Amino acid sequence: MDTYMSVRTYGTDAGDQVKAEAARLETLFSVTDKDSEISALNRDGEVKASADTLKLVGESLRISRATGGALDVTVYPAVRAWGFTTGENRVPSKEELAKITEKIGYEGVRIEKGTIRIPKGAGVDLGAVAKGYLSDRAAAILKENGVSSALIDLGGNIGALGSRPDGSPWRIAVRDPAGDGSVGTVEASDLFVVTSGGYERYFNDASGRRIWHIIDPATASPADSGLLSATVVGKSGTTADGLSTAVFVMGEERAVGLWRETRDFEMILVTSGGEIVITDGLKDAFTREEDSGYTLRIVS
Amino acid sequence: MIKTRTWIIIIAVIAAVAAAAAIAVRFFLPAGTTAEIVKDGKVLYRIDLDRVTEEYKIEIGDEDGDRNTVTVRPGMIAVTAADCPDKICVAAGWASGERPYPIVCMPHRLTVRITSGDAGADAEAR
Repeated sequence: MDTYMSVRTYGTDAGDQVKAEAARLETLFSVTDKDSEISALNRDGEVKASADTLKLVGESLRISRATGGALDVTVYPAVRAWGFTTGENRVPSKEELAKITEKIGYEGVRIEKGTIRIPKGAGVDLGAVAKGYLSDRAAAILKENGVSSALIDLGGNIGALGSRPDGSPWRIAVRDPAGDGSVGTVEASDLFVVTSGGYERYFNDASGRRIWHIIDPATASPADSGLLSATVVGKSGTTADGLSTAVFVMGEERAVGLWRETRDFEMILVTSGGEIVITDGLKDAFTREEDSGYTLRIVS
Repeated sequence: MIKTRTWIIIIAVIAAVAAAAAIAVRFFLPAGTTAEIVKDGKVLYRIDLDRVTEEYKIEIGDEDGDRNTVTVRPGMIAVTAADCPDKICVAAGWASGERPYPIVCMPHRLTVRITSGDAGADAEAR
């Protein structure tokens, strides 16, 4: 999963089971592990997949449809072209990007009787949803073990199970995408809090422009929607993870439109204009960091 | 001219004030912030960040040729350079008592973590 995992529980060793589950899912989902199911799919164009891979790809397609393709797990050819999986960063030419854009399209992914198929030249990367899926699995394992209070931290992808041992909600800081502090704190119980931002993984091109790893499927290029970060709070880790990427790609206007339509998640957007935009459902749970320098706006 | 006795009293008062100030500092400063640099599960360095007076750097290398530069400043610590492919550790920025979230370089199996301090939050979404 290429991330640091920390699971804090009280009064149990179920954390070990969570680590074992993380290792197991990694062998299914990883795009860098040649023996994974996803690598097989990308190489052969089809794979007889495990229940977990089928479920996660299915969930991704559902989020893709809900977001008009702003989340699309078939961006892998673009992620590779910009060098985000190899570490050898480069800026592809316009012609190359135009060709890659034609290969991107979640509509081309077919799931039939346990087999996933993708068109020739297409590729799948579950990076935008895998950590979310693991956090859902972690929460389920902990609950099965009778754990009522836990904080799951998968490299900044947070799952707040129950409340703190003292009964108060967990307090999750949201990182300031432009600095080292936080923009504020959100209180959460039985919720997942996932942030996508351009600061997580990036390189600078020859002209000093920051190239970040979140790709807009429509352009095969880094998303440029006026947001510095997008945080989604929701009941499902997988959905919160996928939506945080989608919202970052969509920008404020489209994202607020989606929220008004569905009302099944909440969000905290940090805009390049220096604003923190939160949805109405978080107005009591979110506290702005006083000296963060951002102004707060609530949308309803 | 001030008499010797008066000097002794003045010095005694200054000494008493200084001692009181030292005690006050001990009591009112927040609990010490300690950082640990961990490689392959082993703690290589344990640093009391509150005792750091000026910036210094620590080079962490291994036989695979993996390199990370850890920079220590008063109250804070960061990975400021690395030859890993993704450089997520460098992008993570500075960890401190107020921001005690771990900095991780997965490819090099390196973690810089704060073992004490108070964030006012339980975790950071990022």
